[in-house]
Amino acid sequence: MPSVSEWYRADRMPHIFCTGCGNGTVLNCTLQAASDMGWEIDDTVFVSGIGCSSRASGYTAADSLHTTHGRALAFATGVKMAHPEFNVVVFTGDGDLSAIGGNHFIHACRRNIDMTVICMNNMIYGMTGGQGSPCTPRGAFSTTTPYGAQEPTFDLAELAVAAGANYVSRWTTYHVKQLTDSIKTGMETPGLSFIETMSQCPTSYGRKNKLRQPLDMIEYLRDHSILISKKRRLEAEGKVIPDTTFAVGEFVRRSRPVMGLKR
Amino acid sequence: MKLIIDESRCKGCNLCTLVCPYKIFREGSRLNEKGIVVPEFNGPERCTNCRLQKLYGRRLCGMCQLTCPDQAIKWVEEERFEDMKVVIEY
Ligand SMILES: Cc1ncc(C[n+]2csc(CCOP(=O)(O)OP(=O)(O)O)c2C)c(N)n1
Ligand code: SF4
Ligand code: SF4
Ligand code: SF4
Ligand SMILES: [Mg+2]
Repeated sequence: MPSVSEWYRADRMPHIFCTGCGNGTVLNCTLQAASDMGWEIDDTVFVSGIGCSSRASGYTAADSLHTTHGRALAFATGVKMAHPEFNVVVFTGDGDLSAIGGNHFIHACRRNIDMTVICMNNMIYGMTGGQGSPCTPRGAFSTTTPYGAQEPTFDLAELAVAAGANYVSRWTTYHVKQLTDSIKTGMETPGLSFIETMSQCPTSYGRKNKLRQPLDMIEYLRDHSILISKKRRLEAEGKVIPDTTFAVGEFVRRSRPVMGLKR
Repeated sequence: MKLIIDESRCKGCNLCTLVCPYKIFREGSRLNEKGIVVPEFNGPERCTNCRLQKLYGRRLCGMCQLTCPDQAIKWVEEERFEDMKVVIEY
């Protein structure tokens, strides 16, 4: 059983992520969970699309597929249907998953294919210099929203619940222990497990939104998260919850029929 | 066990200064040869993992290591002190 350090591809380090980028933290939590699962490196495949977040698959010691923008889930579906014995983990960004890849996302959830999908949601297109994504909060600045974003955001976790994924949770890069445990629970749950991680991009998001320092951005994520149990209680009491906050915790764990299960 | 920051990897983001419950990391003040200000330690021997990893046989706490986006935080075996040689001069 490989130790956690063996899951990293040390010859590729240091990685290309900017100072304080949350993607490195999500990589740590994912590889810790894979190691805790007792998985073998050769039985595991990491699949990703295009974006900074999608570079994460190349820093794992396992085989990986760095595919085309938005298509990680389509490739992962192919891998899993051809080789159900593999553990399939997908790294994707908010743009990759919910903008160009939105259709693949809902159908992978509907089919409930047995894999673990980890989305680094940094609320921006990080790699291409900071264009707004479907997850850019209302009022936030980006190169394509110079007067502040006006559109409502996509709640990716709720979307995955509605589309049929068996396990859905959301945490942030501040909540590393909860995130690691949640990824492990996702890996254990048959069917599609979707773990959304709110993650900091100090370079493309922070710079435009007075959160230039990595510490400022991670504190922002911590302070704008609200436990889902608390959110549901407040909603039941008819209280208003500011729309800049986002719920964290386990959204759903269930056993709908699954495709691509290990034989 | 001894706590170390691998200076070939650290990018000086200071996230470790936020997450350690004992505030063992604090913002550094000196540029290293890569032009990065690596955090300094404040009483690293207080780290739970330094003290108890051997006893429990697994990593304890580990908040800093899980958080560090650059995989720069590690623990190494502590070098044993050289056996003291006492020379008595007459
Ligand atoms: C078909 C196609 N369209 C557009 C691009 C340009 N492109 C590269 S990355 C990216 C957005 C990435 O955003 P996200 O998935 O959120 O990743 P992040 O960099 O924020 O982690 C875009 C639009 C591309 N590479 N391919
Ligand atoms: S641009 Fe943003 S998401 Fe991309 S590596 Fe830099 S901080 Fe991370
Ligand atoms: S979290 Fe890691 S990269 Fe950031 S300052 Fe601390 S040791 Fe360096
Ligand atoms: S393991 Fe915990 S106590 Fe030790 S330095 Fe890291 S955060 Fe601090
Ligand atoms: Mg993004």
